[in-house]
Amino acid sequence: MPLLQVKNLTKRFGGLKAVNNVSFDIQAGEIVGLIGPNGAGKTTLFNLISGILHPEEGHIILDGQPLNQLSPPRRSLAGLGRTFQVVRPFAMTVLENVMVPLLARDPHMDKARDSAMQMLALLRLEHLADAQPDSLTLAQRKRIEVARALATRPKLLMLDEVLAGLNPTEISENLPIIRQVHEQGVTIFIIEHLMDALMAVSQRVLVMELGALIASGTPQEVTSNECVIKAYLGEETPTC
Amino acid sequence: MSAKRLQLLGGVLFAAIIAVPAFVESRFILHMVTLIFFYIAMTSAWNIPVFGGKMSLGHAAFFGLGGYTGAILYVKFGVSPWIGAAAGVAVSLLGGVVMTLPLLRLRGPFFTLASIAFAEVLRMIAIDWRSLTNGSVGLNIPFKPGWANLTFQSGKPFYFLSLILAVAVVFVAYRLRHSALGFHLRASASNDEAAQALGVDTRRAHFIALLWSSGLTGLIGVFYVFFIYVVEPSTMFSLTLFSLQPALNGIIGGIGTIWGPVIGAIVMTPFGEYLRFYLGTIQQGLNYVVYGVVLILTVNFIPGGIVSLVRPKRSNRSDGSGSSSDTKEAR
Repeated sequence: MPLLQVKNLTKRFGGLKAVNNVSFDIQAGEIVGLIGPNGAGKTTLFNLISGILHPEEGHIILDGQPLNQLSPPRRSLAGLGRTFQVVRPFAMTVLENVMVPLLARDPHMDKARDSAMQMLALLRLEHLADAQPDSLTLAQRKRIEVARALATRPKLLMLDEVLAGLNPTEISENLPIIRQVHEQGVTIFIIEHLMDALMAVSQRVLVMELGALIASGTPQEVTSNECVIKAYLGEETPTC
Repeated sequence: MSAKRLQLLGGVLFAAIIAVPAFVESRFILHMVTLIFFYIAMTSAWNIPVFGGKMSLGHAAFFGLGGYTGAILYVKFGVSPWIGAAAGVAVSLLGGVVMTLPLLRLRGPFFTLASIAFAEVLRMIAIDWRSLTNGSVGLNIPFKPGWANLTFQSGKPFYFLSLILAVAVVFVAYRLRHSALGFHLRASASNDEAAQALGVDTRRAHFIALLWSSGLTGLIGVFYVFFIYVVEPSTMFSLTLFSLQPALNGIIGGIGTIWGPVIGAIVMTPFGEYLRFYLGTIQQGLNYVVYGVVLILTVNFIPGGIVSLVRPKRSNRSDGSGSSSDTKEAR
């Protein structure tokens, strides 16, 4: 059974179908990339899966459990983790930021502090434990975002542009972290604008355009797919 | 100042506070300090939901519910104020549930505005339900001194009772802020969507915070009624005295912190009484004009309140040079 099943998901904003009849599966242990031009509906899809938005139609099933009726915090407890494209850490220390999800599961302060410290070590942030996030670089704040999401011990981790806006050095620092998280046994679903980076980590790539899923396959298959090339380069009368 | 010296200073200050009634005979000063203690308790209780960014301007509702419950039980049914205090807490908790459930859907200023209406509605009910509340005349607490009746000849017992209340409420607020609930509230205040995505049931957190706040405010209300010997709608459900004043104390002292409400109440209570006494006689309401100016100045120039001046926000470079390689490209 797939870890995540998305069936015929549709979300309308007024007359616009932001997500149009999208279906796909993600198997446990995969790293799946999601690409598409601006406005293709990638973040909307993430918001539907994490429960911030409600679909008009379709089903979302995580590890056999239907998510449609669950609130965002319940989905998190069910094993769904996510980061946000615009990182806004909580106004508290880095360590406390990571303690928040832990305390939502077990209110013991000391235990949460220890586990949070471990999580920071994993993401090479332990020396910043007592720093205020607003004093850190974007790359570091994105790592806090990942640390926080990872502290929920998700079955599926959805990463929304954790590399966008970083310089090449920072990307080369943050990219291995995604692999490292994956090696911990976490299945990853990742949106990324930076094609090179995405292709480097993903085993499989889904492509969206105008709310619809237009292609799916290995990075090589997808980049040579005509529809995908058209979606990115544009064509006057799309045939896909 | 080192933590040890701060502790010592705190200890000395506390000893002085306890010793005050032994030396001070002035009823005025005792009354004023008692009032400060009441406001410390009230502001700290009001401040609990503010950890999560929910600012109420309707806390007079809980204050009045508690006070009226204690007074009605005592005056009409001869129930001891100590039992009345428990009943007062129960009724204000009920009020907290009724106010909170529909209001939790509202964010920011909308929550604040709706909370005002809640206290005003209760004030109207207190005026109209004459058989129970004696209308706008209110109920007087008969003067029968004794601990059982929570009525005293001297001002000293209430000095200590209000001090205990203040310490207790500040302690509860402190414990809550440093508990899992406190983390959830602070997380929700800075980014509710992210907090929810991390598994925090933020609505539940706000609800629990408001229950603590309303219950404690009701308890304070009961003691306050026996302190002033009377309940009447325009005092107990007063927008300015018990809804705006705690908020004002909190904002000026520093909202969402533990010591902000304490400092705010210590500074604003004598200031408020002074203004009311002097300016109120020149032109009614003039004192509120000054309040407004002070509030605007505070929010503009020291948004973190007085407490942010005393204890500046933790340094951004708290990790020192150990991470220079990581922070040098800070943007």
